[in-house]
Amino acid sequence: MTTRWSRLGRITMVTGALAGVLYGRPATAGEEDDLQAQIETQRAGVSDLDRLDEARTTTEEITMLRTWLDEAWSLRSKHEYDQVREVLDRCRSQAELIRQKTSAAKLRAQVQKREATLRDLRAKIDSTRKALQDTQVKKRALEEPTT
Amino acid sequence: MINQRINLRLLVAGLCLGACATPPKPRELEMYEGLRKNAGVADAAKKSPDLVANADRLASKAGEEWQSNDLEESRRDALMASIKLKTALAISEQDQMKARIQLLSNQQADAEEELATVTKDLASAKEALDLRQKLGAAQKSAAADRERLSQEMSSEQQKAQAEKQKLSLQLATEQKLAAAQLALRTADTVEANRYAAAPYSAAADMLKKAEAEIKAGDLNGAQVSAEVARQHAERAAELAKPAYEQAEQTTQNRARDEALQRDATAIPGVAVRIERIGDSQRLVISVQDLFNKKETSLGAGHEPLLDSLAVLINKYPTYPIHVLGRTESRGKPGELLAMSQARAQSVSTALAARGVDPRRMTVSADPAPSGDSKAMAAARSRSNRVEIVFLYH
Repeated sequence: MTTRWSRLGRITMVTGALAGVLYGRPATAGEEDDLQAQIETQRAGVSDLDRLDEARTTTEEITMLRTWLDEAWSLRSKHEYDQVREVLDRCRSQAELIRQKTSAAKLRAQVQKREATLRDLRAKIDSTRKALQDTQVKKRALEEPTT
Repeated sequence: MINQRINLRLLVAGLCLGACATPPKPRELEMYEGLRKNAGVADAAKKSPDLVANADRLASKAGEEWQSNDLEESRRDALMASIKLKTALAISEQDQMKARIQLLSNQQADAEEELATVTKDLASAKEALDLRQKLGAAQKSAAADRERLSQEMSSEQQKAQAEKQKLSLQLATEQKLAAAQLALRTADTVEANRYAAAPYSAAADMLKKAEAEIKAGDLNGAQVSAEVARQHAERAAELAKPAYEQAEQTTQNRARDEALQRDATAIPGVAVRIERIGDSQRLVISVQDLFNKKETSLGAGHEPLLDSLAVLINKYPTYPIHVLGRTESRGKPGELLAMSQARAQSVSTALAARGVDPRRMTVSADPAPSGDSKAMAAARSRSNRVEIVFLYH
C-alpha cells in the first residue's frame, strides 16, 4: 500500500513540477545567485550554531538542517527554485529552532548549575546547623554543674 | 470458474476502493500531533501566539493535504508546523528557565543569607564553646593550684604549729628552769645549803639535770626536772629560813653587843664588864664617885659623864636599862639600902632628864657586902658606886 501511495505521490509531484515548469515564473540569473548565496550563508551559519550548541542538545536538528541545505543545493542545481525557497524557508525556521533550543539548553544548564549550587548550599546549611547543634550540646554539657 | 470471477470482481472493487480511500497519515503529521499534546503548548501559545497559530495553520493545511492525498505537501507543511511549534516550546521553555533561574537566584540568596547566619551562629557557638573550654581548663588549673596551695599551706601550718608547740614547750621549760633557779637563789639567801642541805642539794642536782636535758633536747624531761628542782629549792628555803633568821639575829645581836661594849669602854671614868648569868649576858657600866659621903644627890662636875651615858643609852634603844645603886657597908643596912636606892634614882632621874625614856629604866639598890677583912674593905670601897646595866636580849 505504501509503495503504491508513494508512487502516486511521485506522480503527483512530477505533475506539479511539470505544471510549475510550464506555468511557473522563469528564474533569472540573479535569483539563482541569490538563492546560492542564501544557501551558503545558511551553511556558514550552521557551523556557528553547532559551536553554540555546547550541550549537544540539537545535534539531530543540525543534522537535519545540513541535510535540508544539501537538498536545497541539489534543488538549486536542478533549477527548482521554488522548492529551493521553500526548503530555505524551512531551514531558516530550523535554524531559529536550533537557536531557541540552544538558548533554552543553556538556560537549563544554568538552572541545573544553580540547583546544584542551591543543593550544595542547603547541604552546607544542614551540616553547619548540625555542627551548631553539636557545639551547643557540648557547651551545655560543659555548663552543667558537676556534682 | 465462478470463484475466479468473484475474486476478480473483489479485486477490482478493492482497487477502486483503495484508489478512492485516504492514504496513511504522514509520519511528520503524526509527530506534530504528538507534539501538540505536549503540556507546555498552552504556555507556548501564550508566549508566542503567532508561532503556535502558524504551526496550527500549517498542521491544518497538512491535514487537508493528507486528506487530499497530497502527501508530500502534507509532510512538508507538517514538518514546518513541527518546527514552529518546537520553536514556540523552546521559547516558552526559556521563559520557564528564566523564571526558574530567578526563583533559584532568590532561593540561593536566601540560602546564602541563612548559611551566613548559621555560620555566624556556629562561629559564635564555637567561640563560646572555646571560651567555656578555656574557662573549664582554667577552673581545673585553679582548683589544682588551690589544692596544691592548700596542701602546702596545711604543711606550712603544721610546721608552724609544730614550731609553735616546740617554742611554747621551750619557753615553758625555760620559765620552769628560771623559776627553779630563782627558787634556788632564794634558798641561797637564807643559806639553805647550810641549814637545809639535803633538799638544797637535791634541788641543785635536779637543776643540773634539767639543764643537761635541755641541751639534749628533752624539753619535757627538763620541765619535770626543773619543777622538782623548784619544789626542792622552795622546801629548802622554807626549812632554812627560821634557822637562818635566828642565826642572823644572833649575829646582829652579837655585833650590837660588841658595838655597845666598844662604845661603853670609850666613855672615860667608867668601868665596863660583861657578866654572864646562865645563857644570858649583860653589860655593866660601873660609875664611882658620883656622890659625896652620905649624899644622895649628884655631885657637881659629872654632867659630861651623865651626858655620855645618856647618849650611849639612846644609841642602843633596844636594851632594857637597870640602874643599880651600891654603897659601902659601914652603917646600918636599912639606911645603906635606902641611900643606894636614892642614889640609883638620882642617876635614873638625871638620865631621864637627858632624854632617856624612863620606861626603859628600872631602879634598884644592892645591899653592901659585910666582913672585916682588908679584902672586904677594898670591896666596900669599890661598892660605893652606881651601875648602869644593859640587859642583853
